[in-house]
Amino acid sequence: MNLPTQPLAVIALCLAALSATIVVTYLVTRPPLVRATKLWLLLGLGILPIGAAFAGNVQGFEATKEREFCGSCHVMALHQRDSEDRSSNSLAARHARNAYFGSANCYACHADYGMFGTVVTKLGGLRHVWLYLTEYRATPIEEAKKTIKLRNPEKMNGNCMQCHSTEDLVWLKVPDHRSSLDDERAGRVSCASEGCHGLAHPFFRPPKRGDR
Amino acid sequence: MATHRMHRLLTVASVCALAALALMTWQLFDPRVFPVIVAMSLGQVLGTASFAAFGYVVFADLRARLTAAREARTIKTDAE
Repeated sequence: MNLPTQPLAVIALCLAALSATIVVTYLVTRPPLVRATKLWLLLGLGILPIGAAFAGNVQGFEATKEREFCGSCHVMALHQRDSEDRSSNSLAARHARNAYFGSANCYACHADYGMFGTVVTKLGGLRHVWLYLTEYRATPIEEAKKTIKLRNPEKMNGNCMQCHSTEDLVWLKVPDHRSSLDDERAGRVSCASEGCHGLAHPFFRPPKRGDR
Repeated sequence: MATHRMHRLLTVASVCALAALALMTWQLFDPRVFPVIVAMSLGQVLGTASFAAFGYVVFADLRARLTAAREARTIKTDAE
């Protein structure tokens, strides 16, 4: 457990503390329900908690992008550990060492980038939570790493191409890139395959169509 | 609504608000999957229920006052 230092988290905490102070004061003193009491309660039960919820939710959404968040389900612990390993050469670890992605490297590579990308990503995350609760909660990590796979592996190149556009002249000079350009752009050849840039995670089982 | 019922409802609303605030702040200290999901679901539900209960009490109180004022006016008119 860490003390939150992000500005939004501090704001949420301050608003929650003020609200709690007003509510506890009401519970202890039980003043008559006059206009002043109602105004104080409007602050304590309405305005301040809504502010705390808003700041807390934005902070919560930001927290869901962090590697620590993804790794808090035990079946992701190996991936998290590999990403944090300074000596690992996996794609995930190399991207984690890039300051642009840093501790949000899981999200950078696994998020959807469409018009409703954030919503689709969060819904996908809820699906992960459901699967974790119903199937993987008690699954030993050794067994989990054999069964957890990408759901839409053909979409993954699209995520790589958010940064690696496949349009850069230097990139196009690489013979392997040029020879399979259409297949790479269509996701038929994975950037993260053993013949190309290597698997994203060392414990990763190459996915098959229809896998979860 | 009787005053003691209003106070009881406000007590429930206050307890719900405190629980909601506790859940919402838990996720800030422990940003893992379950605290975040609980804060964004149960925390929001409790907070909303608390505010709705407060709104109901204010509305009921206002209605009671208006009714009392109308009755007082009617009695005064009748007396005149």
